[in-house]
Amino acid sequence: MDLQAQVRQAARKLLDDKQVDVVIGYEAADEPLRTTPCFIRDSQEVDRLVWNPFCEHNLAGYLQGRQDKAAVVAKGCDSRAIVVLINESQVQRDNITVIGVPCGGIVERKKIYRHLQGADIREAVLEGDVITVKGPGFSAELKVEDFLAECCKFCSHRNPVLFDIKIGEDVPEVDSKEQYHEVARLEGSSSEERWEFFKKELSKCVRCYACREACPLCYCKQCFTDQSLPAWVGKTDDISDTMAFHIMRAYHTTGRCVDCGNCERACPNDVQIRLLTKKIEKDVKELFGSEAGLEIGEKTSMMVYKENDPQDFIK
Amino acid sequence: MQEQPENWEPRIIAFLCSWCSYAGADLAGVSRCQYPPNIRVIKLPCSGRANPFYIIKSLQQGCDGVLISGCHPGECHYSSGNYYARRRFAIMKRLLEYIGVEEGRVHFSWVSASEGEKFAKVVSEVTEAVRKLGPARRLVKNEFESGATI
Amino acid sequence: MKTIAKNKMSALLDALIKKYQVFAPVQQDDLVVDFNAIRSGAEAYLEYNNSNEPVKKMFFPQSETLFTYTQGGSTETPELQPKQPRVIFGVRPCDTRSLALMDKVFDGPDFQDPYYLEKRKNTTIFTLACNNPRNNCFCSSLGYGPFFQKDTDVFMVDLGEKYLLEPITAAGTKIVKGLPGLEDAREKELSRRKALEKEAAGKITKKVDLKNLPEKLSGIFDHPVWDEIHEKCIGCGVCTYFCPTCHCFDIVDETRDDQGRRVRVWDSCMYPSFTQEASGHNPRETGKERMRQRLMHKFKYFVDNYDEVACVGCGRCMNNCPVGSDLVQVIEKINNLKREDVYE
Repeated sequence: MDLQAQVRQAARKLLDDKQVDVVIGYEAADEPLRTTPCFIRDSQEVDRLVWNPFCEHNLAGYLQGRQDKAAVVAKGCDSRAIVVLINESQVQRDNITVIGVPCGGIVERKKIYRHLQGADIREAVLEGDVITVKGPGFSAELKVEDFLAECCKFCSHRNPVLFDIKIGEDVPEVDSKEQYHEVARLEGSSSEERWEFFKKELSKCVRCYACREACPLCYCKQCFTDQSLPAWVGKTDDISDTMAFHIMRAYHTTGRCVDCGNCERACPNDVQIRLLTKKIEKDVKELFGSEAGLEIGEKTSMMVYKENDPQDFIK
Repeated sequence: MQEQPENWEPRIIAFLCSWCSYAGADLAGVSRCQYPPNIRVIKLPCSGRANPFYIIKSLQQGCDGVLISGCHPGECHYSSGNYYARRRFAIMKRLLEYIGVEEGRVHFSWVSASEGEKFAKVVSEVTEAVRKLGPARRLVKNEFESGATI
Repeated sequence: MKTIAKNKMSALLDALIKKYQVFAPVQQDDLVVDFNAIRSGAEAYLEYNNSNEPVKKMFFPQSETLFTYTQGGSTETPELQPKQPRVIFGVRPCDTRSLALMDKVFDGPDFQDPYYLEKRKNTTIFTLACNNPRNNCFCSSLGYGPFFQKDTDVFMVDLGEKYLLEPITAAGTKIVKGLPGLEDAREKELSRRKALEKEAAGKITKKVDLKNLPEKLSGIFDHPVWDEIHEKCIGCGVCTYFCPTCHCFDIVDETRDDQGRRVRVWDSCMYPSFTQEASGHNPRETGKERMRQRLMHKFKYFVDNYDEVACVGCGRCMNNCPVGSDLVQVIEKINNLKREDVYE
């Protein structure tokens, strides 16, 4: 039985046995190359559930604050986000059932559109690891592995770290040694060059806060951006405020971010905000030797300290 | 090196923890240690109280440099405030330098209540480092110069 | 009607640049085209699909200083922009239409917004018809279509080797007079235009029935369908920011020492803080109320107030939604609600 069928079977059983009120998963979207989150409450409808390389969203965000018992389809990164949510008391372990699926990587739609120079794709059919896209006057066959999202290419945890039901067998992990190559490239350039780059990149931001809402770990009832006493950051798209917003938001993910890529994917203006969160992730690993979302009960790196923490930067 | 306007003096904001660094600064004063007068002090109960965002806001509002100083690790009046602060500052300093804030704008130190001389030395070092960089321009918010965004 | 050879278009734009501040679609990166001020005609990229950001930002920017003040001093209104007359060249019909809808709010019988109006009256629009509507376009369902030519000053069509230019308003006629490289349109070019219009209409595959929607919406305020519709929405606000007709804003004060400025900034009804009251009460407490509000505003309340649906069918909300929420599917779901489920 393929993975998709296994997901459906697991969901059917959970709903029939009334173990959960809702199964949160992915279903086909009207648009090609996309899936969309779905909430299945009737076991007769489990065939809506799909599992394929277009299942991009981190569904962990839908678990926060729920009152009912929910099952959720979780890839590696999603399961790590769930661990962080449990450790931060935002989700009760007993109220959720994690359907863990091994993930070979998610297709980044924009890479396909870029490759086809913005062509009007009207249809996409996936067979095995080949996507056939069609549009007015064109057709192309593309290999899934050529269009994986950046965060997936060097993924450090393809297999779910937390699950109640495991779908399929583990997939081999990839060599994630190069996962900080974009950050390292920037670190190797001059301060001036970095400033010009980030200023230009972040000036594309229109302060829609899609990144914040898409992140499963941004769940504050009142975000710092909405505070006026004190006003941490202004609401206009003034470049100084915009850069401050992104520095501050990235900083809030310190020791918590699992690099699921939801934030960058949600951005309508292609702002490369993962360059900030990835830098913090690299530093946390280097300075404190920790990675987010791997163990229930583990405190995040900003909540703990060691007496011999690095302090060579302190006079 | 940035061009420096004539008669420009660095304006440095210093967040000092009240039990150690602020007392150390006080000692520097009564001991008549000479140090540059460029810092403006804000007293906090503990370096752990220093929200890393204070650094960003200071730079946005035109401070040329930021110094945050607390008790030596193991000597925090609140036991562990400076341990948490140490981790926070490590990340924030690297992040700010990565995004392009010049190295040398933001500084951290451990100064105890008995280290008046060290305080004077730290302030001199910080002032010189900031003076070399010139007035801060990068994160400064110029809201009264900007209008409509077209 | 006039035509101009494609290779002469750059010179036409250069001529406009001499007298106006000209905004045209400019390629930002591989996928994104947005309107920017151009300094030479060669910068314009007219073979584009649609701009990433809607053209409303040229009249209703993300942030706009309303006035500045000094404590103990005076209040100063900034000089209303633009100082130089503008041309926005190559706007698609959907975005052009959106300006007419925005006019209903910002240029109404009771309230006229000077910041918006100054821009509006100092801007001439050149609309470029859509030969290749894309997957998520549904403008024809709104009664417009990819060749909708009202609401603009000059209407252009890409005929292949040439562009057709048709002045629509007096301002359009005036601006076209004297532009270099124009020839009179010939019969075969006019037939080509008609053929392209038919072809373009055929490329729109997304269709939705909006005829009975306002009435239906008035009967389903408490219907459980809203629970389904909103469930995957994450409240990110991208749909509102990228919608050509959404116009909600917040007004904030920014102060420093004794100076301050009052700024209007974009806001979104999809954010929880939009209706948060000082008491702590929030009349639209969950995403359900907010999504319901958004759809009812666009497809019912705006109709009640202005006789028009506040949507132009550009599809940006669907293109950009991080979770793939599909407005057309949502409307169809509402349309398909059985009569007996809908109570008056």
